[in-house]
Amino acid sequence: MKIENIKKQIEKKFGNKISVSEKNGAVLLEGKLNKWEEVIFCGKIAAKSEMHRGVINKISVEGIEIPKPIMPRIEDSIFAKDNYDVVIIGGGIIGCSIARELSRWDIKILLLDKENDFAMHTSSRNDGMIHPGIASKPGTKKAYYNVLGNKMYSEASKELGFDFKRIGSLIMYDGWYMRFLKPLIGQRAKKNGIEMEYINKNRIKEFEPNVNSECVGAIFLPSTGVISPYKATFAYAENAVQNGVKIGLETFVKGMRVENNVISSIQTNRGEIFTKLVINAAGVYSDEIADMAGDQFFTIHPRKGEIIILDKNTHGLVNSVVSKADFLSKKNTKGGGIVKTIEGNLLLGPSAYEQPFKEDYSTTESSINSVFEKERKILNISKNDIITYFSGTRASTYKEDFIIEKSQKIKNLVHAAGIQSPGIASAPAIAVEIEKICVNILKSMMDLKRNNKFNPKRNEQNISAFIDEKERNRLIHENPDFGKIICRCETISAAEVKNAIHSVIPALTIDAVKRRTRVGMGRCQGGFCTPLITKLIHEETGISYTEITKKGLGSNLLVAETKVSEVDKHERV
Amino acid sequence: MKEYDVVIIGGGPAGMAAAISAYDNEGKVLLIEREEKIGGILKQCIHDGFGLVKFNEQLTGPEYANRYIDEIKKRKIEILTETFVLKIDEKESFIMEFMNREGVQKITTKTIIFATGCRERTSKQIFIHGDRPAGIYTAGTAQYFTNILGFLPGKNCVILGSGDIGLIMARRLTLEGAKVQGVYEIKSEPSGLTRNIRQCLDDFDIPLYLSHKITRVFGKDRITGVEICQIDENFQPIPSTLKKIECDCLILSVGLIPENELIQELGIKINKFTNGPEVDNNFMSTEISGIFICGNAVHVNDLVDYVSESGEIAGKKAVEFIKNGEKTFEKTSVVFDEQFLYVVPQYYNKNTKEDLLFYFRSKNNFNDQKINIIINDYIISKKYKKLKSAEMERLTLKNDFESNLKKINLQME
Repeated sequence: MKIENIKKQIEKKFGNKISVSEKNGAVLLEGKLNKWEEVIFCGKIAAKSEMHRGVINKISVEGIEIPKPIMPRIEDSIFAKDNYDVVIIGGGIIGCSIARELSRWDIKILLLDKENDFAMHTSSRNDGMIHPGIASKPGTKKAYYNVLGNKMYSEASKELGFDFKRIGSLIMYDGWYMRFLKPLIGQRAKKNGIEMEYINKNRIKEFEPNVNSECVGAIFLPSTGVISPYKATFAYAENAVQNGVKIGLETFVKGMRVENNVISSIQTNRGEIFTKLVINAAGVYSDEIADMAGDQFFTIHPRKGEIIILDKNTHGLVNSVVSKADFLSKKNTKGGGIVKTIEGNLLLGPSAYEQPFKEDYSTTESSINSVFEKERKILNISKNDIITYFSGTRASTYKEDFIIEKSQKIKNLVHAAGIQSPGIASAPAIAVEIEKICVNILKSMMDLKRNNKFNPKRNEQNISAFIDEKERNRLIHENPDFGKIICRCETISAAEVKNAIHSVIPALTIDAVKRRTRVGMGRCQGGFCTPLITKLIHEETGISYTEITKKGLGSNLLVAETKVSEVDKHERV
Repeated sequence: MKEYDVVIIGGGPAGMAAAISAYDNEGKVLLIEREEKIGGILKQCIHDGFGLVKFNEQLTGPEYANRYIDEIKKRKIEILTETFVLKIDEKESFIMEFMNREGVQKITTKTIIFATGCRERTSKQIFIHGDRPAGIYTAGTAQYFTNILGFLPGKNCVILGSGDIGLIMARRLTLEGAKVQGVYEIKSEPSGLTRNIRQCLDDFDIPLYLSHKITRVFGKDRITGVEICQIDENFQPIPSTLKKIECDCLILSVGLIPENELIQELGIKINKFTNGPEVDNNFMSTEISGIFICGNAVHVNDLVDYVSESGEIAGKKAVEFIKNGEKTFEKTSVVFDEQFLYVVPQYYNKNTKEDLLFYFRSKNNFNDQKINIIINDYIISKKYKKLKSAEMERLTLKNDFESNLKKINLQME
């Protein structure tokens, strides 16, 4: 579609409220509308222009104030005048895996995140599904990196030590239209390079005997897998740190100094950082980072999703990832479904809807209910099976594809942006691609050598969810703390918690320990283990009880010591 | 592999009583506890009111526990603490795999008594929405922080749910200098014991708001407030009553769930009214012979005294079961009308010669209520001045019936 047509279409609907122009190779939308859906509507129309590489949507909405990113409260200068070869902005699975791949080279790398830990946003707020790659159109970056990334997980999970299982997925369908769609889907699978099979109703019953399905058939995709997305992120991050990558947590990029289309330094709340190369892996904020460098050509519209977690005692209800096809719907979502996680919980969802807030992780009754009601139709579950639920936001661009490229404008900027679903599945492949791009750029700037100390294996001990008696015994004899269970619901030992606390990326908050070990993620939701973990953090680090937080500054667990008697006071002195 | 007659899982009040009684009946006993010390939740219940039925005394939780701990010590009962059961296989006898600091071990046992207690329902399980700030605790967790670790979970608290632990914590936090703004209960009746309403709320001027619901929490880092509203008779929020209350802590006492995951792995089903497995009058599972369940794992009790009582029965009966060598029993189902929420046990062995014992809860509250117990052709009536669904009742009946128990029927008039 030409820009004139886009203008016409938008004008038809909203009159002259919206100005449509061109900027940095993208369509720029400006103006004010009444509803967020209208903003999205305009963005989607603008995305239809094949001539432009993206949509910058600056339309605001009457009455909705988009909050600024939540910033760390620290101000210091620990990075003042530091010099790096590469600075990676964003410590999700994309930033962490890029850091790990780049650590194969003898260069100075700094991995930044504004939070006090990695995987705090989308990387820990998804279902951990390693998609097969059928949902993406052939020729898109999504399709390419998804299929490649999926394959790479076999090796990556072994090297880095995290659980990965190909459990396969079933997309069930019941529509008459499948007669026409079947050959098309088959073609797509072939083009994308995915193994798939049509199975009939009886075979569905064999695969998934507990799924109540009126469906006539299903697409079976054997390559679908599951991982723990936060554990995988830490596996990458810890291996990166072992191989020399420096990390900067609670480090917020405020701006960039750009001269002659080259970023010379990055301004942060912890000092000005000098670097040869910048990688934008800032997730939902990747558009704002691009803007700081003067290279915005896309806008992230955060598509929110909610996921329900069921008790592990439902684990036998499904064997794979099960969903019901919604091929006629034009919604940008995999449609959600039932995912059997690597640990054996069932996840329902995610939902997918547009809303303006990038860091609003609240949930609402209506959306959780609708996720539940949808899946209840195919599975015999009750609300009593729900142990908790959460939400996340997808870093989607209006073009709805990944941006994995060297900046066309800024000479030392590389984008790994707009990584939405299937981002987790694509991460290993994206990281290798970004490594290649960076190596090419760096070669022109410096004498680039391999890091001969690089070790692809992670040193940190990982306890598999599938640990057997023999291995457990070996661990306990090495360290008896492995035999002391702290989290009864998830069978997590004191040794695992202590290892997390003393990891190369220390876990010093309750949620940080949780992301590395899964403590508190079971059916009691931390009711029994939260005090025990608090105690371990206190004992292992000396942080006082009232200073220990759930997830960083301001989220203290306890407010004061109980009344201390005169006798006690005397004894304590 | 070591062999036992009776292995008890859980060293709380039910498990301790079961261990003592199995030992006294000459069983070879092993008590497994996952915490560092036995005593269960009693260890953190430093308030009094325990043991009125059992010892005719007002004891604190630790005192009550110590009575049993002392008895266990006297008998030199084998205990494994900090030990976690991994797996149970049902063969001719049961093969149990557990781990502790020594490693993974396997033992065999003729019977198992599950005394696994219960856990607390959480905020997400009652569908409170909003973000996930710090400062939201179940009452038991708050109690552990306050009484065991010695730290206050909040200074300006709202308590949701009028379960007993919530009421106890309202008083406890007040005594520690925190402000408790009120206790909010979704039902139109409090769910805790009347004596706790009086001693924990009324005596400290803490208001109790019935028919109220928390609809969402505010705050991103630490909780800053809650949204509260009144509900109508269909439990639906009345929008005009919606209001925001500021607080730094939300304590939940919204129900207990018997912990029966291990038992479910054996294929034993859970009764939806008790949330526990179905048992006969010996507290033996009606599905797998040799598996016994006692205490709060069967159904949530109000008084620890009854928890101990069920443990005592289970311990004794487990040894008798081994001695008898019988595996199958003719059972009579305990039938009750819809005015009852549940009755435990769900079955009686037909040839039982011992006196009959029932625990039950009524569905609603009744005054001057007559209950008819129909055994075979006899009708025995009992009168209750007050029946409350929040308070469990215990009913005993002399077993002087000449024939076997063919029919057991409980009816409210």
